[in-house]
Amino acid sequence: MAVVQGAPPRGALVSFKIPRGRGASLGLYIARRILWLVPVLFFVITITFVLMHLAPGSPWDKEGKQLSAAVVRNLNAKYGLNEPFLAQYVRYLVNVAHFDFGLSYQYEDQPVSSLILRSWPPTAVIGALAFLMIVIFGIGIGVVAALRQNTWVDYAVVGFSTIGASTPAFVLGIILIIIFSVSLYRITGGNFSLPTGGFALDQHLIMPVVTLATLPIAFIARLTRASTLEVLRQDYIRTAWAKGLRERLVVTKHVLKNSLIPVVSALGPTFAVLITGSVIVESVFAIPGIGRAFVIAVSSRDYPMILATTILFSVIVALANLVVDLLYTVIDPRVRLG
Amino acid sequence: MDDSVARLRWLRVPALLTVVGLVVAACGTSAPTTSNLAKDQTLRVNITTEPNSLDPGQEQYAYEGAVGASISEALLKIKPDLSDAAPATAASYSVSSDGLTWTFKIRSNAKWSDGKPVTGADFVYAWQRILDPRLAAPYADPFFDGTIAGAADYANLDASKPADVAKIPAFLSGLGLSAPDASTFVVKLQAPSPFFKWIASLWMSAPVRKDVVDQYGSDKWATSPTSLITNGQYKVSEFVSKDHITLVPNTNYWGGQPTLTKIVNYEISDENQAYAKYLNGELDEVNVPLANTQLVKNDPVLSKQIKFVPQLTLFWMDFNTRKAPFNNKDARLAFSKAVDRNALATNVLQGRSAPATFFIPKGMNGYRPDLGKTQDYDPAAAKAMLTAAVGDPSKITVDLLVRNITANKQIGEFIAAQLQTNLGVKVNQVVIDSKTVTTRLRAHQYSLYIGGWGADYPDDQDWFDIWMTGSGNVFGGYSNPAYDALVKQADTTADAAKRQSLYDQAQKILIDDAGGGFLYQRNYMFLVKPYVQGLTTTAQDFEDVGDWFWSKVSIGSH
Repeated sequence: MAVVQGAPPRGALVSFKIPRGRGASLGLYIARRILWLVPVLFFVITITFVLMHLAPGSPWDKEGKQLSAAVVRNLNAKYGLNEPFLAQYVRYLVNVAHFDFGLSYQYEDQPVSSLILRSWPPTAVIGALAFLMIVIFGIGIGVVAALRQNTWVDYAVVGFSTIGASTPAFVLGIILIIIFSVSLYRITGGNFSLPTGGFALDQHLIMPVVTLATLPIAFIARLTRASTLEVLRQDYIRTAWAKGLRERLVVTKHVLKNSLIPVVSALGPTFAVLITGSVIVESVFAIPGIGRAFVIAVSSRDYPMILATTILFSVIVALANLVVDLLYTVIDPRVRLG
Repeated sequence: MDDSVARLRWLRVPALLTVVGLVVAACGTSAPTTSNLAKDQTLRVNITTEPNSLDPGQEQYAYEGAVGASISEALLKIKPDLSDAAPATAASYSVSSDGLTWTFKIRSNAKWSDGKPVTGADFVYAWQRILDPRLAAPYADPFFDGTIAGAADYANLDASKPADVAKIPAFLSGLGLSAPDASTFVVKLQAPSPFFKWIASLWMSAPVRKDVVDQYGSDKWATSPTSLITNGQYKVSEFVSKDHITLVPNTNYWGGQPTLTKIVNYEISDENQAYAKYLNGELDEVNVPLANTQLVKNDPVLSKQIKFVPQLTLFWMDFNTRKAPFNNKDARLAFSKAVDRNALATNVLQGRSAPATFFIPKGMNGYRPDLGKTQDYDPAAAKAMLTAAVGDPSKITVDLLVRNITANKQIGEFIAAQLQTNLGVKVNQVVIDSKTVTTRLRAHQYSLYIGGWGADYPDDQDWFDIWMTGSGNVFGGYSNPAYDALVKQADTTADAAKRQSLYDQAQKILIDDAGGGFLYQRNYMFLVKPYVQGLTTTAQDFEDVGDWFWSKVSIGSH
């Protein structure tokens, strides 16, 4: 092929635009994964939209005094529900593409986006705190139990994990309320109950965070313990001991790095579940969060709210999975993205 | 301690109903002196649910009225004993001799929370706005389009059709609403309506400021304390979504300043949680969860804090008269006679509700328990009647539609058991989510359902109209031309005695036809802290006992 004089070498041009090497492929990988969100969301929206409209009942159906036919007709006109199904669907897709999630039916005319922005922070805060506890305590006691296998420490951790993993959140939450909010009320002075005074970063968060974190801590502790025990039996660990390395080095450099691979893959979905809200914990502790908002939206057929929360949940789950995949490359050099 | 409660303990009046009467009377007469008032005049109550809107034109639920009635004041206001509507924003009103023109004189010192005077034009605007199909106000029908001259066309205006939308301005200006001067509001009616004073005292009949709606937007003005300009005794100072709404006195209110300086309306949907908060001293009154009824009654401290308030709410078996066996009048009557209301009230409803075999509840003019004899419990007669009407009961199967709510399920269980035992019919309980139940009811896809009615206002018209042919509020399709004619006549009759006798005749027809199998009247059983003074309860309270009249309440030192 003839090379035109003066033309810059091709390679130089390309490398000027996109950096090469591991960083470049990582950037491309992330961009590709985020672009994949578009078709995923499209399917999520379509399925939710169809199911929602198939469910019996309209947003205007209620108990007690009924709205007259004329009022229902006018409400449908106001919210565009009188249009054909397909027209509503296309209009919604176009609006979502412009980040317009519509107005809530249930809370007269309030934008769904602002309702979500209001109810998500409490959920996210409690979820993030619970996640922090899970990472610290779940992995911590799991590793300790494995290192001290068949001692009382190990038995205590296994015992806790078994009880913790089999106690549903509503049982634990109610037991905590009975003990700390009701029986010990004189001592705790109401410090352990919600709401009164709205949501804030204070002692009121202790009980919901503990309730939310207990089951996952138990689960992660068991997982960590099992995986650590397996790694401890590997040849390379024996080699590490044989080399005369100190325990701290063996554990952090060799054991943890390998035993955490299954734990990290479990933590991703756990994080997604935690910050999208637990209906039960939010109901038990009266937290004005998004889990409850979602359930109320479903039972009152608040279509725009149902769709917007579903979209948010899908985005969070997809992003959490992406982060897990990226973390694999850090803790396991064998993993290649692509 | 509040002296009215101390006096009560000394009297030891046995019947709870009398106790309530005494408490109210005692509080009403003994004005609390400043010396025994607490420093903090804050009342904390639970409205259970976050209001969807506090725009008078958009409110439709009790938990909205609970706040709405304190912040927005209509022309008139119910009296605590519900005997009449008393002047509120209107100082007086007069009705023309033909009963068609109602002239309200607005108080010269009635002011909005921003200090501007309340005018007749504010009412014209608010009521026109409700009847604007583009707003789709929930109760445009029947309160407003059923009474105001020229408003009947509301049903013919379809907000989705451009041709109809073009007609809206002419429709609104043609309504019988006018303000000849700033202090006068005149309403012309379609027909003489003795009950119109109650429409004028509904919380959604409050005035609305056009300049505020124009400035902030029809959908936005009621969502923030700064733009929510209202004319009631209180105004909203704070919205905390899904948690609480705080009210403070409206310093411009015409009627002087209340003792309570703050009302915090919590939005706690779980009744057990609210109950725990009451016990912890975080709420000043609370509805007693049904399961805790006996516990509260037997508790030496709590039993003295009980407030028992009958409500204008009544429940019945809603028969789908379009289907066998309920297309047969005797079959309906037999089903009604087969249910032991006393057992229902005592065992299932824990003695908190009153058994009923009649339609109009206690506390209303039309209360006539004697008319209910036809539906009295008599299992033997019921079975014979059913067999004579439609043959062998064991061949009959009916579906009982039940909302998936604990209390409804318990009642459903009881009714099904009674019908199976006493009549020998088979009853399938269909327990499904609330929205689906309503959809099926509206589509008439059911045979039996436990329905009910709560008064919008304490006038018989509000009750009798729902059984008229074609009504959307009773699903069973009951229709009797004789009943329709009597009610239609009574609705427009000015003479009270004549009107009452017409309604009585109508009630007799309804009960004898077993349009519904009437079951029980609901009562509120609340706990109220002894330091809450001056509580004035009505049979029309919204979410908390006494919430129509917070203005009379004060907090005693404790």
